Amino acid sequence: MGKIIALHSYKGGTGKTLISVNLAAMHASKGESVCLLDMDFRAPSLHAAFKTNSTEYWLNDYLNGACEIKKVLIDLTQTHTGKGRFLVGLANPTTEAIREMSAKDRKWEMKALGRLLSLKTSLLNDMRLDYVILDTSPGLQYSSINGIVSADVVLVVTSIDASDIEGTQRMIHELYELFDKKTFLIMNKVPIEMLSSKTEKRSLSRKLVTAYNLPLLEVIPCFCDILRAGGTQIFAIEKPDHPFIKILGTIATKTKHF
Amino acid sequence: MTTARTMERNATQILERIKESLDRLNEKMEVMIEIQKHSEKADQGIPDVLDVMTLLSLPDHLRKTAVTISRLGNATAEEVAEQTKRARAVESGYLNQLVLMGYLKKERRGRKAFFCVEKET
Repeated sequence: MGKIIALHSYKGGTGKTLISVNLAAMHASKGESVCLLDMDFRAPSLHAAFKTNSTEYWLNDYLNGACEIKKVLIDLTQTHTGKGRFLVGLANPTTEAIREMSAKDRKWEMKALGRLLSLKTSLLNDMRLDYVILDTSPGLQYSSINGIVSADVVLVVTSIDASDIEGTQRMIHELYELFDKKTFLIMNKVPIEMLSSKTEKRSLSRKLVTAYNLPLLEVIPCFCDILRAGGTQIFAIEKPDHPFIKILGTIATKTKHF
Repeated sequence: MTTARTMERNATQILERIKESLDRLNEKMEVMIEIQKHSEKADQGIPDVLDVMTLLSLPDHLRKTAVTISRLGNATAEEVAEQTKRARAVESGYLNQLVLMGYLKKERRGRKAFFCVEKET
């Protein structure tokens, strides 16, 4: 049976979307079936990453109970990977939709949780997908916690920023652990000079694991060419030999066994 | 001169009346704000919705049961126990506790009791 992986972070701008998009594209280019869902209803971004917003139904509609999940999914297999099934569910980026999603009450959120939990049956059992990747919004808010509760594995992305690390630590003990979620930490955008030698990389990893007691999975350096691309390229498809994609490959292998 | 004085007196009276009206309006607003504050507190105190924030506030043993029933939608204690790998009797106790707390609905069909997340009435 497949897995639902949620990408989450304490602060914004840590690279969740970049990692989600490339992780999903990487799995699809290996011939695995993947579905990537934009769960960031306050700041949707996948429509821009895939240069598409020509959809009749959004993920918002599925959570509203207005349609089934199949209506939301856009098949990008032919245009993007040509190998494994590559499906994407977009969040509605219009200001009106964002405002509407921000004003939902607790009962709506409870129903949305039920619909997200049922994705395990519809996407993993019925459609036999290998991975469902949820790109959530940062911090503690309904949509991201709903995503976390629905996931099998949580990948938390943090930067080197002290407040980010402190917040991540708190979320591990006061959120993921409470829901018994298998959680792994990815430290992203680390200045290259901090990883210039294996000794330095090991020393940073040791600090994160022992001093901060974080379940560190990988450390990703700050790649200037990725920043320069500004989210217009999917490296897993266009530059599959890029070191960033190699690191994502390691992350995929490590998470596969859980 | 007399006309000017009369007009001045009238204007003062009008201004005083406006001030009195504004004071009364202010008092009413304050009362309304207080009522709203209390009703908000009362709303928060009603444990009727099993959303994620409520799930976070539950004790560990109940949270596991509550997440499972949210996933299953409608289930017996036995079906919940299959998922949580705990004894049926234990789950039955926890489910009934969640019913008492107002988070779940219990329905009897024949000899079996079904539990479900309380839906909007």
